[in-house]
Formats: sequence, structure tokens, C-alpha cells
Amino acid sequence: MIDPSRLSRVVLLPLLAALALAAGCATEKTRYGDARGVETVSNQFGSTDLQLIAESMTRSMLNAPVVAGGNLPIVTVQEVKNKTSEYIDTRAITDSIRVELQKSGRVRFAVDAAAMDQQIEELKRQQSDYYDAKKSTETGKMVGAAYRLEGNITSIVKEAKGVKDVFYKFNLQLWNIQNGLLDWTDEKEIRKTTSK
Amino acid sequence: MKRTWTIIALLVAALAAGCSAKKGFEKPGFSFGCPIGDAKVSSMEDLVKLKVVHEGKRTTIEPTEMRCTMTGDLQKIDVVLNNDSSQVKRITYKFRWIDGEGMRAWDEEVWKPLLMYENSNVTISAVAPTNKAVDFRLILLSQE
Repeated sequence: MIDPSRLSRVVLLPLLAALALAAGCATEKTRYGDARGVETVSNQFGSTDLQLIAESMTRSMLNAPVVAGGNLPIVTVQEVKNKTSEYIDTRAITDSIRVELQKSGRVRFAVDAAAMDQQIEELKRQQSDYYDAKKSTETGKMVGAAYRLEGNITSIVKEAKGVKDVFYKFNLQLWNIQNGLLDWTDEKEIRKTTSK
Repeated sequence: MKRTWTIIALLVAALAAGCSAKKGFEKPGFSFGCPIGDAKVSSMEDLVKLKVVHEGKRTTIEPTEMRCTMTGDLQKIDVVLNNDSSQVKRITYKFRWIDGEGMRAWDEEVWKPLLMYENSNVTISAVAPTNKAVDFRLILLSQE
């Protein structure tokens, strides 16, 4: 007759050891990476694509006569249409472009349609009785943009025999709001191929 | 006799003007249009050595030509990269922008992937993000 307590010890100990071993093997490793490094985890739109597009568009626009002239054009950012089959946060791309251009000190940005509600809300709030009228911002002083920035991103995806090819084309345009003329445009193309 | 002396004087003046024009073509502190500071650069190889930095895994891709110019008040750079091997090579590159005090003039750029076919040349171009960037380095990294 086997002692039940001995039996449980005989079975439990190797079980616990195996569990500990398995837990040890499954330990996750987290490390910080280079935020500006080339990311090739998959061929979907990634951080490198976003950064490449933002940098390329910004440098090109800085060379455009309308910006290089030093007139500090006032620009509003409109929609970048995502015409690809995957989800892309196009706002993240235009935000990055806006950051680079603003840092260059050659462009000024007027409040865009997406942020207009918050802007009006704050203006209205400051008109309330809670604020000192002399120190509050006045309504009717907002500056309208002279140019609007808009664009689109498209993709062509081909897949055959374990090879997937993705081609992205990002197009950005700077339109003169007053006369409707296109003052600058450029595009960036990216090709990524994954094979099994 | 007087006419002969006048012709000789005119020839000497024209020669001197020609020489001074050629000398003045390159500003002091610049070579092939690129800023070099006090460094001694007498050839394209010297300029490439001065401006190119290999980081991480060294690539066999070599810059063979580098020229700089100004577009407005921003520096523009063209670099010819050469792959003299019989294999396709993949590299990444970026430019590092330096201000007048030798400090970083701009944030670190994104690494730009580049595919180079066998026995080929590719010209890469860059425009400085700000007029504070008066100098630069081209950084190369192998992706093999």
C-alpha cells in the first residue's frame, strides 16, 4: 500500500519542476529599440513608412517657392484620404509633417477643421462672466489660412506563390485657398516585398 | 613697341583675372561646395572620408562623389553611391545635421532603406531641414 502523502509528493514535485521550467522558457524579453530604425516586422504600413513619408514631404515642401520665400504662409491641414485596403492613421502622418514644418519656422498653421470645435469652445468659455474681460481673448480675431494641405495614400498589393508585394504611394498637395491654384505637390513611393 | 607692351599687359591682366576667377570659384572652408571647416581636402576621396561615417555593420557600398550647393538658404547635398559587387546590396542611410557650433542642428533622421543593384550607382539627395544646419555627416549602415 502506497502512502497517499508520499504519492502526492512524488507526483507533485516533478510537476512543479516542469511548470517552473516551462514558465522560465516562456519568459518574455522586452528591450527598447531605435524609434527611427527600419522596421520590417511585416509588410503592412509601419513606423518607418510613416517617418519616411513625413520627412520626404517636409523637406520637399521646404524647397517650394511658396515656403522658401520666407513669407511664413499660413496653412491649414485637411484630410489625407486613405485609399488603401488597410487601416492607416493618416492623421499621424499629417501630424508628423506639421511638427517638422512648424519646427523649421517657415510655416504657420491655422486651426484645422478637426480642432475647430475645441477652439470655439475655448473662445466661448473665455467670454463668460467668470473671466476678466480685459484679459480674455476676443472673438473675431482668428486668422484664416492662405493654403490648405491635403493628400491621399494609395496602395497596390500583389500576392502570388508565397511572395507579397506592397506598393504605397503618398501624395500631398498645397492649395492656394484664395485662387484655387496648386502651389506645391509631391509624392513618395515605397515598395515592400515579403517572401516566405 | 608701345602697342606690344600694351598687348602683353592686357594678356597678363586677362590671365590674372582668369586665375583669380578660378581660385574664387571655391570659397575658403568649402570643397566641392561642401563645408569642410579647417580640414585639408585636396580630392573627392578626402571629402568623402571627412563626411561619411559607417555605423554598425560596415557596408561595401562606397560613396564616390559628393557635391553640395545652396537652395535658398538651405544646404542641398547630392551623393553618388556605388555598388561595385556582383550582388544586390541593401543599406540604410541618414544625414546628421550640424550647426555652426558643432552641435546637432536637428533631430536624428529616420534610417532610409536603399536597394542597390549589382554594379550600379545611385544618387541620393538631401536638403537640410533648417538653415541652422551648416554642416553634415552621411551615415551608412549595412542591412545584409
